[in-house]
Amino acid sequence: MTTAPVPVETASAPLSRPRNLTRWLSTTDHKDIGMMYLALGALFFLIGGVEVLIMRLQLARPGNTLLEATTYNEFFTLHGTTMIFLAVMPMLLGFSNYLLPLQIGAKDMAFPRLNAFGFWLTAFGGIVLYLSLLEGPPDAGWFAYAPLSERPFSSSLGTDFWAAALLMMGMGTTLTALNIIITTARYRAVGMGLWKMPLFSWMVFVNSFIIAFALPSLSAALIMLEVDRALGGRFFQGGGSPVLWQHYFWLFGHPEVYIMVLPAWGIISEVIPVFSRKPIFGYEFVAGSTVAIAVLSFAVYAHHMFAVGFARPVNLAFAASTMLIAIPTGIKVTNWVATLWKGSIRMTVPMMYAIAFIVQFTFGGITGVSFAVLPIDWQLTDSYYVVAHFHYVLMGGTLFALLSGLHFYFPKMTGRMLSEGFGKPAFWMITLGFNGVFLVQHALGMMGMPRRVYTYPDLPGWGALNMFSTVSAFVLGLGLVLTLINIVISWRIGRVAGDNPWQAWTLEWATTSPPPKGNFVRLPPIKSSRPLWDLAHPEDPDHQRPTRHDQQGKGHIRLEEKDHEQ
Amino acid sequence: MSSKPSSIPLIPSVSQSLDVSALPLPPEHMDASPRSNGFWGMAVFLVTDTVIFLLLLVANIYLRRYSQGPAQGALDPGTTIWFSLGLWASSGALVLADSFRKQAKVSGLLYLLTAALGFVFLYGQAQEYLKLNAQGATVDADLFFTGFYTLTGLHGLHVAFGALALLVTGVLRFRGLLDGRREGFTAALGLYWHFVDAVWVVLFLLLYVWGGP
Ligand code: HEM
Ligand SMILES: [Cu+2]
Repeated sequence: MTTAPVPVETASAPLSRPRNLTRWLSTTDHKDIGMMYLALGALFFLIGGVEVLIMRLQLARPGNTLLEATTYNEFFTLHGTTMIFLAVMPMLLGFSNYLLPLQIGAKDMAFPRLNAFGFWLTAFGGIVLYLSLLEGPPDAGWFAYAPLSERPFSSSLGTDFWAAALLMMGMGTTLTALNIIITTARYRAVGMGLWKMPLFSWMVFVNSFIIAFALPSLSAALIMLEVDRALGGRFFQGGGSPVLWQHYFWLFGHPEVYIMVLPAWGIISEVIPVFSRKPIFGYEFVAGSTVAIAVLSFAVYAHHMFAVGFARPVNLAFAASTMLIAIPTGIKVTNWVATLWKGSIRMTVPMMYAIAFIVQFTFGGITGVSFAVLPIDWQLTDSYYVVAHFHYVLMGGTLFALLSGLHFYFPKMTGRMLSEGFGKPAFWMITLGFNGVFLVQHALGMMGMPRRVYTYPDLPGWGALNMFSTVSAFVLGLGLVLTLINIVISWRIGRVAGDNPWQAWTLEWATTSPPPKGNFVRLPPIKSSRPLWDLAHPEDPDHQRPTRHDQQGKGHIRLEEKDHEQ
Repeated sequence: MSSKPSSIPLIPSVSQSLDVSALPLPPEHMDASPRSNGFWGMAVFLVTDTVIFLLLLVANIYLRRYSQGPAQGALDPGTTIWFSLGLWASSGALVLADSFRKQAKVSGLLYLLTAALGFVFLYGQAQEYLKLNAQGATVDADLFFTGFYTLTGLHGLHVAFGALALLVTGVLRFRGLLDGRREGFTAALGLYWHFVDAVWVVLFLLLYVWGGP
């Protein structure tokens, strides 16, 4: 093993960072674009967060009069749209953009300028959405059910702004997905077969196919809506079919859930092995089940429409497919837990978020399966139980994974460590706050509180539970603010990270932090999915290790850190 | 089990403890296909486009059953076929242009011809719209026509966009300003144009010829 130290030009010398505004505006480097996506997502997360805090204030007490009914509708429309399209998706695309080329050993994306174009489309989409404030914001919900979203019921231009914004952002996302597909297909380093790709790249790759098939469905629906609204068309009104809107919307809307959650799973699949000091358990299953999920995600979409009143066989088919999708998902959860099992666990902040993710995501998944049981869905749909469910998945799952990834990759992106002194209290505030907000909403839903209402009567328990939810929301918000402060401070004066502070074994850690333009000067030979491990342990490389079929060797329960501490 | 990052045993990071720069391999990638990035990128894009057209068509076919207005009878496939032939002929011109380009012969004029045939189609379509509107077959008149205008309009936008791009390509080629580095763009544009033509075959058959469910 060679040990001669390389002259390190790390950390404090950001080689590829643009230094002024024009360079940010014109950059085509995938790392810059990745970070711009992250910043955009964070900004809109803040906006969407403030919106929801106001909503929660309105809901804190029964019969409250802080917001009017229509204003509340506008708030939840903007909140839902912002969180999904302008906060979570940009942040996920940010990670994808930043990490994918690094993980597969490429210099950049296949189409760097298209990449920048995709980002700007998304950013302008965000601006267009909020320009609607001048004309009266959209108020038909992020799902915009027709005919509620048609001109007669939603007469301000808000919904038109909303549709235009979504078309732009959808276009941007589709182009980015296209870019990712071509990049992954053609720009992997020599030796990196598909089955040697890091799991994050795997999931982002598969995810891009979901995007390529799901987002056009949204575009088609939006085009139809605008033909109706602007030209007096009749797709969803005047003899047309309102249910058609729901079909097309959910044909996009359900896969969208997986679009958000797959990269999140990818992050978790990177974080857990590193802080358990073990390779991921069942790499092939974690990767392969993703494909099953991609296909099934389209096959289940009508589970959002059980209350529409389809024929029984239709309902049953979608109920069955919904339950089926729990299997590949369960495989993943099992593999993560098996990776933790007997690992030598380091409880760092990214790991804490990852573990909270597993718990909360599993919980959200279970309530999801409960909806697949038709009578339960008929009872609970459009109640706060639904709100609780999807926030457990989207926030308890996706957002926690994003926070995990943020703490994990911050050193790579900036060259500095995030402070754990801030990170841990923030983690506890966010986790306790989050569960405080949404756990009680399951109860509220079962007690019959409908969603999308601006106020509610003073029924026994409702006021108290809602107040609890509101107070928790502020704890959660405070935790997020603390995280933001942590980012700002650590970026300036954080501990210098070095190239590979966590001792991870995938390619992104083989270059400096932050990586130079062009990413790598040299690449290690790639013979397994953990090339850096192979490099550090020529006596025991992955590709010669007993596979998971071989029960003799030390197999997966070898504790690598102990081996590695010379 | 450690709790602070500072107490994680500080092992020199991999690239510090290993001399990566001694490794022989420069970053290279696998490249499985002789076709350009541009070609494959466009192929993926067209898949997404296909989904949009398909869903709009399904909507049209589904809603036609409930149509009660002037409906399909107002259409005049006999006239439409003429400017459609122009569009389809443009695909032939493009095939020729591409083969000229590959043999390094002058191809600029052929690209311009392709674009011109595209504009002929657009002109025909505009005339058709005017005539239909005059007869009362408007977007809001009928379920069939809502779908009809949406589909043909979206297709027309595709033609317009492609024709403009072909125009630019033709002019640049004519003046010898498109070098080898831009082959990917031309390949992508060619694929796009053939796709747009093929979509029109489907639309023509399903909207003008087929009587509906
Ligand atoms: C700060 C934490 C958050 C709180 C306290 C919160 C709370 C709420 C509330 C009270 C509603 C209105 C429910 C209704 O009236 O029907 C709502 C709606 C919504 N939220 Fe959040 N939210 C938070 C974060 C998020 C995040 C991170 C996402 C996305 C990943 C998200 C996505 C949505 C969506 C899509 C809706 C629309 C629901 C619908 O279809 O009616 N929220 N949220
Ligand atoms: Cu769903």
